[in-house]
Amino acid sequence: MGKSVTPAQRIEISERSASAGLAARIRQAQEFFGIRLTGIDEIKVYKIAADHPPSAAVLHEVFADPVLQKLHMAADAPAQTPAYIAEISFRPGVTDNAARAAEMALALTGHQTRVASSSLYMLHGDMTAKEAEKLAQEMLANPLIQKIDVMTYADFAAQTRFDDVQLPTVQLAVAAQLFDTVDLHIDDAALEKLSAERCLALSLFEMKHIRDFYAKPETAAARAAASLPAAPTDVELEILAQSWSEHCKHKIFAADIDYTGPDGQTRRISSLYKSFIKRATADVKKDRGLDWLVSVFSDNAGIVRFDDNIDLCIKVETHNSPSALDPYGGALTGILGVNRDILGAGLGAKPIANTDVFCFAPPSMPHKGREGDMPQGPKSPRQILEGVHKGVEDGGNKSGIPTVNGAFFFDDDYAGKPLVFVGTVGVMPQKLPDGRASAEKSILAGDIVVMTGGAIGADGIHGATFSSLALDENAPATAVQIGDPLTQKTMTDFLLEARDLGLYRAITDNGAGGLSSSVGEMAQMSGGAKLDLARCPVKYPGLAPWELMISESQERMTLAVPPEHLEALLALASRRGVVATAIGSFTDDGQLHVEYGGKTVARLPLDFIHDSLPPLQLPAVWDKPRARSAWRGGARADERQTPPAKITDALLHLLATPNITSKEKWVRAYDHEVQAATHVKPFGGIHADGPNDAGAIWLYPHGGARKSTAVVGCGMAPRVSPHDPYLMAQYAVDEAVRNVVAAGGDPDMLCLLDNFCWPDPVQSAKNPDGDYKMGQLVRTCEGLYDICRAYGAPLVSGKDSMKNDFRGLDKSGHAVTISVLPTLMVTAMARGTAGIACGSDFKSAGDVIYVIGAPGASFCASEYAAQFNVDSGAPLPLDMPAAMAGYRNIHAALQSGLLQSLHDVSDGGILCAIAESMIGGRMGADLDGMDARTAFGEAPARFIASVAPDNIQAFELAMDGTPCTRLGTVTNDAILACGDERTELPNLVSAWQKGF
Amino acid sequence: MMAQHKPLFLVITGDGINCERETAAAFMHAGGDARIMHVNDLLAAPEKLAAYDGMAIPGGFSFGDELGSGQILALKIRHGLGDAFARFIARKKPVIGICNGFQVLVKLGLLPFPDAPARLCALAPNAHGGFMDRWATLLPQQSHCIWTAGIDKPLRLPVRHGEGRIVFAEGRAEELHAQLAQNGQIPFCYDADINGSYANIAALCDPTGYVLGLMPHPEAFMHAETAPQAQKQQPGDGFILFDNVIRHLQGQEKIREQRIA
Repeated sequence: MGKSVTPAQRIEISERSASAGLAARIRQAQEFFGIRLTGIDEIKVYKIAADHPPSAAVLHEVFADPVLQKLHMAADAPAQTPAYIAEISFRPGVTDNAARAAEMALALTGHQTRVASSSLYMLHGDMTAKEAEKLAQEMLANPLIQKIDVMTYADFAAQTRFDDVQLPTVQLAVAAQLFDTVDLHIDDAALEKLSAERCLALSLFEMKHIRDFYAKPETAAARAAASLPAAPTDVELEILAQSWSEHCKHKIFAADIDYTGPDGQTRRISSLYKSFIKRATADVKKDRGLDWLVSVFSDNAGIVRFDDNIDLCIKVETHNSPSALDPYGGALTGILGVNRDILGAGLGAKPIANTDVFCFAPPSMPHKGREGDMPQGPKSPRQILEGVHKGVEDGGNKSGIPTVNGAFFFDDDYAGKPLVFVGTVGVMPQKLPDGRASAEKSILAGDIVVMTGGAIGADGIHGATFSSLALDENAPATAVQIGDPLTQKTMTDFLLEARDLGLYRAITDNGAGGLSSSVGEMAQMSGGAKLDLARCPVKYPGLAPWELMISESQERMTLAVPPEHLEALLALASRRGVVATAIGSFTDDGQLHVEYGGKTVARLPLDFIHDSLPPLQLPAVWDKPRARSAWRGGARADERQTPPAKITDALLHLLATPNITSKEKWVRAYDHEVQAATHVKPFGGIHADGPNDAGAIWLYPHGGARKSTAVVGCGMAPRVSPHDPYLMAQYAVDEAVRNVVAAGGDPDMLCLLDNFCWPDPVQSAKNPDGDYKMGQLVRTCEGLYDICRAYGAPLVSGKDSMKNDFRGLDKSGHAVTISVLPTLMVTAMARGTAGIACGSDFKSAGDVIYVIGAPGASFCASEYAAQFNVDSGAPLPLDMPAAMAGYRNIHAALQSGLLQSLHDVSDGGILCAIAESMIGGRMGADLDGMDARTAFGEAPARFIASVAPDNIQAFELAMDGTPCTRLGTVTNDAILACGDERTELPNLVSAWQKGF
Repeated sequence: MMAQHKPLFLVITGDGINCERETAAAFMHAGGDARIMHVNDLLAAPEKLAAYDGMAIPGGFSFGDELGSGQILALKIRHGLGDAFARFIARKKPVIGICNGFQVLVKLGLLPFPDAPARLCALAPNAHGGFMDRWATLLPQQSHCIWTAGIDKPLRLPVRHGEGRIVFAEGRAEELHAQLAQNGQIPFCYDADINGSYANIAALCDPTGYVLGLMPHPEAFMHAETAPQAQKQQPGDGFILFDNVIRHLQGQEKIREQRIA
């Protein structure tokens, strides 16, 4: 065959003592699978192929810590014979970070190698083969990305595993031609089939629009002149599919909508984005004469000026579909992706903080006896929670970016698709050393296209188009990717160094759609681009040009480099161990021209790619609240408990629900203090276990003024959506603003980000109430516009994800659709002052406890109503001018030091907020009696505050008309007294710290 | 008054190190000078090391913690910098390894038994099995470490690691621990069991007292603004380590009381 075979070695690394992580597996096996393990050991396996195999001494030096581990080069009998062994390895082509690191380590000892890693799990205990297989498939591995072999110990020991060592290799069938031409002169049904089979996610209209373009005489003439076939090449079709995907083009927010509101009148809205989002910012800017909006909606992130020396940028993304399929990889690539948006903002910013908000099904799902109602395909709620959390942990920690703010929200309707919001704040100097403004990009014809970071593989092909489809059980495995934080970190360091040396003129992220999107968008700045894909570094041979063009292989950025700086840029990359490759140049001929080895494979006019597609025409209606479209697996009202007679019993119940309970265990796994600038941390109080409302980053270490901070918080109210999406938007904004005010943010120096995650709002036979979901979207945008205007808060960035439905089978085999609650997640970032936030914890006995904000609350969409069977009523409207006036008064009171504690009132109402303040300070409270609606009803624009007796007069004066009501006093006696009822503080602590 | 010589510290970066900026800032805040240098630039010209008065290996996730935290950066330093680094240490130039830097110094065998033929000590995964970010109380121990000299009250510093549990070679823990304690090589212990570390050890120094490794992050608490609770007084508890080494290098008599008060 002439194929050379490189000899390969296998080594196994065992731990000298059991690891605690594996003890957790024993618990999980019991809890989630009902399988009793008596023990589990993990052995790491490395397969090493090298022309000159490393010696045993080198292998010991590289792979084993002599104090902790043993290295095996032959089959040694384990101390205890396991019942089963699961060997879990990566499928060919899946990112294997341990193997890549091992190759680097061996290279340091002078050995050039190719390495693959895998894990052996020794399962001890009395179990069947089927149970062992189940644990391997569902607890230890993800079959989408990993190969799983489960065997008895006898079968395992009989293998000659150290002798016959094979490394997984990607075998791609190399096509005979560089491209296929695709005939579009076929009937409608065949066009739709073609779009579906190629995972293009193009509508029939769009397919015909492409066909009509190619049929034009001027197109035909231009193609003949370029020696291209008359019909589109597969490369061209894929470029158009990526560029026109909902993910990249946001067609729903750009659509022409005929909206019928509650008054029965129908009106035309041309683009929700222009009519509400962009207009809100333009109008607020004009109303207030704002001069601190540096760049909004035009770049990878919004850029604002809250400081004399530096600018801040911020972006929040979603990564929902990938996280459903591979929770760890999906969340990890999500966080690394939004970090790259910051790195690609202006001429590049340094990430200084991450945020994360998750909407999940409760980890206790499925409900008892309804396992069969859960969807087939997505991982279980518990696995999604743990995987996503670990992905965000590794993404932030390994990149050295503190995770300073976030939230977990649980509702049954997220069982089909989890929502994973990941955000990043970045900092950039206002001017670079060469005098250029950091926020401004430019590209001149003749500048070189440089791709830097990772190499291209088949991973992440069709990510953009896939996320624009509803999730089903046939989702492509290539849409799943694993991030590589190390490659990204070294690339980030290199790029910030190159930025300060002035080595490039523009930069952008290679995200959804790969090169097709990044170069396609950058080309608009010069007026064209010409690439040769044969120059791209690849992970393995055999990728077709269309795959190279649209692969979303991670950790890549695209630069525009002036020719005179190319050599210096590539030399710096080489010194930093970062891959950077010139793959083409920017032009001004109006074309995106793609070659492979000098042969043209695609040539498309930029105006056809970007400006030719007419807006969608969509119907929308919102007449009145409609009941949630409950799926069989969701919570049922008739299963809810009768409300407890005692307020304190209800309190103890609510404090332990997933939405209210402490998330400390999860949050402390994130490094929230790296970069040494975290001023307001996630937890405060005397034992640092009371919740704070927002995160604040001290800007002085990042080049800002001595006392300046950036305060970041979030808000959302998805359970209000079925009642009134208009109010849902306002509740979300109000909560985000309230949170940042509590952490010392200035309500008058504050920007907002909108992230919409919606069920499919495009009406079709498959989606008969699409018009109502579109109506909910319109009404949400109306609410958002109105509150931005009323609060004087500009939107600076946002993102929408529009197909958050699961359409497939449940585990009993019934067809099922599970749609997420219409969810608007709002992030607020404010300029703050270090030292003024007082924390949410009660401080001293005798301090007076107040609720600040309008009296009255509703059970509508409350946590109380989710737990107990009560008549919930309607959500309360928000008096926006009064709320904003209150925030200004509170900010002034914080600056004057009039408050001892301040805590946002959210899920669980004022009594849960008071309990949290008690827990933070380990203080008691003596309160007037209250009814359940007062205690647990929810409403926007409220805080719990405590005030020292000496400051009461000054405080009430400072509130200047903002309602504030005395509820009682802080006490020393570790008891919550509420009217006639009493409960001890330790009860509150243990209920709240129950966790999940 | 004559201007004091400002000792110059090298702070290495690259390969996933991520605390280089705050570490360099800590030396400067305490009155020293610091340069951040990519480890590849240092390896390309190891002789550059001699120009520095001290060196820091900062925290981070070098090489993504693959093959064990600190392992690959330790290989890189051993194979790429070996002799120059050994000379630097032999000349009693102060070295600090913080968190991941501590793990590197242990994997290099420089801490805590540089003369032992095989490694006897390691930093293993935390007993609870994961990464944690929390504040810890450090109790100063009898030690001759120049970085921690004269500290006579507990310090509060953040810990942020997944692999910070000190373990000793099987069956030798008691003996090795006693030896380290007697040599004054354990500058800090935690006041409680936070990660399963043997005898709550938080920091180790070499027999000379010039090479210090610690899991907590002194560079992250230089200012009241990063304190865990509202705190008015400056500086933070981490300041004294950087101040100590700078004063030591400046050969100044230490006026302990004044600074601790």
